[in-house]
Amino acid sequence: MTRKQRRLTLIGGGLAVLAVAVGLMLNAFRDSIVFFNSPSDVVEKHVEPGTRIRLGGLVKDGSLVRGNNLNVRFEVTDGKTEIPVTYTGVLPDLFREGQGVVAEGTLDGGGVFNADTILAKHDETYMPKEVADALKKSGHWKDDYAQRAAMPIGGGSK
Amino acid sequence: MIPELGHFALMLALGLALVQGIMPIVGTRSNDPVLMSIAGPAALAQFAFVAMAFTALAVSYVTSDFSVLNVYENSNTQMPLIYRLTSIWGNHEGSMMLWVSILTFFGALVAAFGTNLPVVLKANALAVQAWIAAAFELFILMTSNPFVRIPNAPFEGQDLNPILQDPGLAFHPPMLYLGYVGFSISFSFAIAALIEGRIDAAWARWVRPWVLGAWMCLTLGIAGGSYWAYYELGWGGFWFWDPVENASLMPWLAGTALLHSAVVMEKRGALKIWTILLAILTFSLSLIGTFLVRSGVLTSVHAFAVDPRRGIFILGILVVFIGGALALYAWRAPLLKQGGLFAPISREGALVFNNLFLTTACATVLVGTLYPLALEALTGAKISVGPPFFDLTFGPLFIPLMAVMPFGPLMGWKRGDLLGAAQRLLAAAMLAALATAAAFALEHGGPMMAPFGVGVAVFVMAGAVTDIAERTLVLRLPLRAALRRALGLPRSAWGTTFAHFGIGVTLMGIVGVTAWGSERIAEIKPGASLDIAHYRVTFDGTFDRAGSNYRDVVGRFTVHRLNGELIGNMQPSRRAFPDRNMATTEAALMSRGVNQLYISIGDPNKDGSVPVRLYFKPYVLMIWLGAGIMFVGGALSLSDRRLRVGAPRPAKARARGVPQPAE
Amino acid sequence: MVLWLIFAAMMAAAVFAVVWPLGHKPSLGGGSDRLVYQDQLAEIDRDRADGLIGEAEAESARIEISRRLLAAADAEAAAATPASSALWRRRVAALTAIVVVPAVALGFYLRLGSPDVPDQSAFARINNAPGHQSIDSLVSQVEAHLASNPNDGAGWEVLAPVYLRMGRADDAVAAWRKAIALNGESPARQSALGEALVAAANGVVTDEAKQAFQKSIAGDPHDAKAGYYLGLADEQDGNSAAAAAKWRALLAQAPPDAPWAGFVREALARVTAAPAADIGPKTGPETGAATDAATGPAASDVAAAASMNETQRTAMIRGMVQHLADRLHADGSDIEGWLRLVRSYAVLGDRDKAKDAAADAKRALSDHPDEIKRIDDLVKDLGLAG
Repeated sequence: MTRKQRRLTLIGGGLAVLAVAVGLMLNAFRDSIVFFNSPSDVVEKHVEPGTRIRLGGLVKDGSLVRGNNLNVRFEVTDGKTEIPVTYTGVLPDLFREGQGVVAEGTLDGGGVFNADTILAKHDETYMPKEVADALKKSGHWKDDYAQRAAMPIGGGSK
Repeated sequence: MIPELGHFALMLALGLALVQGIMPIVGTRSNDPVLMSIAGPAALAQFAFVAMAFTALAVSYVTSDFSVLNVYENSNTQMPLIYRLTSIWGNHEGSMMLWVSILTFFGALVAAFGTNLPVVLKANALAVQAWIAAAFELFILMTSNPFVRIPNAPFEGQDLNPILQDPGLAFHPPMLYLGYVGFSISFSFAIAALIEGRIDAAWARWVRPWVLGAWMCLTLGIAGGSYWAYYELGWGGFWFWDPVENASLMPWLAGTALLHSAVVMEKRGALKIWTILLAILTFSLSLIGTFLVRSGVLTSVHAFAVDPRRGIFILGILVVFIGGALALYAWRAPLLKQGGLFAPISREGALVFNNLFLTTACATVLVGTLYPLALEALTGAKISVGPPFFDLTFGPLFIPLMAVMPFGPLMGWKRGDLLGAAQRLLAAAMLAALATAAAFALEHGGPMMAPFGVGVAVFVMAGAVTDIAERTLVLRLPLRAALRRALGLPRSAWGTTFAHFGIGVTLMGIVGVTAWGSERIAEIKPGASLDIAHYRVTFDGTFDRAGSNYRDVVGRFTVHRLNGELIGNMQPSRRAFPDRNMATTEAALMSRGVNQLYISIGDPNKDGSVPVRLYFKPYVLMIWLGAGIMFVGGALSLSDRRLRVGAPRPAKARARGVPQPAE
Repeated sequence: MVLWLIFAAMMAAAVFAVVWPLGHKPSLGGGSDRLVYQDQLAEIDRDRADGLIGEAEAESARIEISRRLLAAADAEAAAATPASSALWRRRVAALTAIVVVPAVALGFYLRLGSPDVPDQSAFARINNAPGHQSIDSLVSQVEAHLASNPNDGAGWEVLAPVYLRMGRADDAVAAWRKAIALNGESPARQSALGEALVAAANGVVTDEAKQAFQKSIAGDPHDAKAGYYLGLADEQDGNSAAAAAKWRALLAQAPPDAPWAGFVREALARVTAAPAADIGPKTGPETGAATDAATGPAASDVAAAASMNETQRTAMIRGMVQHLADRLHADGSDIEGWLRLVRSYAVLGDRDKAKDAAADAKRALSDHPDEIKRIDDLVKDLGLAG
């Protein structure tokens, strides 16, 4: 092979890999992107039942109902709109009433959100940020959310 | 007085960094050896003062001196001593101090042990290192000062986030930092080469030990972080593709590529300009990793609003160093002498293949991590790019890389013999096929692709063994002779083998646990039991236990084989920290070979039942075992005499009568 | 003084580190690429001798490295203009180092340092300064005394409010119970017990607490603390009307200079959602403006605050701050209000909230750069930026 051919092989190979990578990424972006929505967004944007989304907001005080076999039901609110959520499994450490939450799953036809993942990030400041943003945007952020949220767990484990 | 001494020491270090950043460069520009020689002592002195500052902070933490705001905010007299120390880097200001301490430590290492470096390169590199240090010392003093004082000290501190009070989290950040910051050395060397306008094969040899050291630490740091997440977060995931983890994976991928391209550069003088670029990119990704994550920007663009000064300062540093380095590169690189070209089928070709896939994979991670940020900034839409994205992009790029990996070391430089390599890998390939078949036959369920994943992993491991067997001729020579050859092999050859074997082990663990792991989630009452894999786990009840600053509700479980044989007890717990009104999940792990049983529990219900998450994690320990083997491989390579920093000239070679080349 | 002497020594050491090499001839050692290539050649020979590489391979590698070696030797020869060091340059460098290093350090220190703040380690705080013994150690002394004399009712009565102030509400409840058991019931003790119970329940007036207050008010219908908390219980049950009625009654029977009157009016305003000033009898000329925190607490409130106990005072201040926060979140254009809010949170020790408030303020005032600067300055003064 001449110098030129070698150089071309190298560049051609590089471009081919890059093209494959771009293809993979575009494909993945089409299939695996999940949009973040507040309860109001869900209502305003008429999110289709069956579309995977992330739903973020505060767990409404007093809305948590524990059923049998680790079924839980609670409502996510941003102060304006509330959406009922069902989930089966153990809730993460940071899950509390009045506290921010991000749930991933789909809406069913009856407007109930079936979550398969409730997010708990190991950085405690990580998760609630987007929730806080959404709440601040909707004008329903209050400082005492944080205060109230600090209470239940101590009582629960006493 | 101690915090004030630390504060002042940090300021003096900044002054020294400025001197160290300017005078050696003036020296190299004007060819003045005396000015160049300032770099070394200045770097050592700078480190001494930064170390003094860090020690002062550490003393304040140990003695719980709450007149230091940072200590008051992040520790508590109730905390065990060791966590009082580790909470230094559990917060932003303290972690920045650790970062700068490590940075100057590496500078001092270069100054002290870089005796095999040409004076000009050393002076320039130390000057660049000093610019980085100066920028971050300034950042600390202006925006993240850990030495802010409170005149009337409160009598009790605020606790550290209890989730951080854990040996795993206490020790993996320093390891990660050693990795991130270690890449600053190759960055400084690259910039120094660009400033000098001269780069050749020798550069790669000088830079390789530093890259290797940083890579080793980063490997261990990532593995440590992953293991921590695995047992602490309570659901047994070992990798989440969350921005914090991606930020550490990206420099690792780029650093691995750099490690390999530096070999080509050292041996063949090729890929010079590419290697320089990689050195710049690797450290840039480290910077992005530490700081975009730290500043919270990766979480949300709005995080900037929380503390705009800090965010803008970080952005400024990133722009100046990454932008400046790339601009310098764009300007100077075309002026450098091009390296040679080579045939695609050769050791060099294989290493280029490696580089191509590693950097592309790194790019997909970068896109996946930053895309949500860009989209939010542009359109306001909030999206999350989760594991499916990375599975669909990173996976397909990484698997071919793994499949081709065993060929690399078996090919010769310049002109490789692909057929010959394939023949020699026949045994490995057959073993891999066997493993695939066995996986099909023995393991049920799981994705169709999984047995092939096992095949690739076995191929990688067997390939690594083949390579070393070929080199020692263990199958052809008598054992004694082979052993002698094995001992005579350069340690770096052993390093390659170990590192490649290690990645195969890790891959095996990832495939195994992802494909065949099983879980049971249920609420069970005392006396009830759950079956999982070959085990029956019986819940005996709960009891309370008090810790230093927490309370545990411990669940007691007995594990039997399905055939009734008793294996042991497991005691997962819920840990409540009253000071913070927080609770964490302390999972219980039981290792069976490389498999693990994993139990975590939730808060007990009133009727005595507890929510239980029970997992069987086959092969899971191989993930971290592989990382350990990679680390050992790195250490072997690093101990190779040829790379040893400041090693004396090879007297042995001369003694053997090797003719000195004519000059 | 000692501090500054040490600083001087440190500066001297730092300057010495960079000036010292200026006075010495550098060792001209150091590596060069030539040495690396020689090493590589030796390595090839060694590998060849060990049979690790073939002769042909070794030969081509040798040729390649030798070529590099020659180029390196040439470059070395070309660059062999003897490195020189001009005396003037060394002098300028020394002078720069002598000036720059201390100037940078002192410049920063004079701006950021706190040379007068003494170290206050936990150890020192407990053992030093007999007059300023920490509450912790005083408490543990009293605890030790009570451990050997558990029937000292007066001791428990002293200790209980201290516990409450330290945030050890559960201990305070236990202490009050002991005090009541040993010294007998009294309305004051019952309402103090109730207060501790409320604190232990994180501000919720539990049934148990309610009973304590009811006992207290049965003994002394004028017990203001009990009256206030019973109203709060109604409010927490969602019965604002009952709460308002209780508090109105409380205010009606209040002595004109009752220190807690402003505080109760605050609460009343909260449940009736009307400005507090419009409610209840005016007790003084200033009270008209008293309760809108935007205009600052009125003199009477301050006086009231001064005579309250710690818990009441904190509760009152928190109520006012909350009021202010709510108002600012509804209408964020009031710069003075924001400044006061940030400062209040800082004073209350709520640094996170103070930071949040500062951030909110900056968002609300985003098109008034001057005012944003004032916020920034305040944040800096309060040490919130660090």
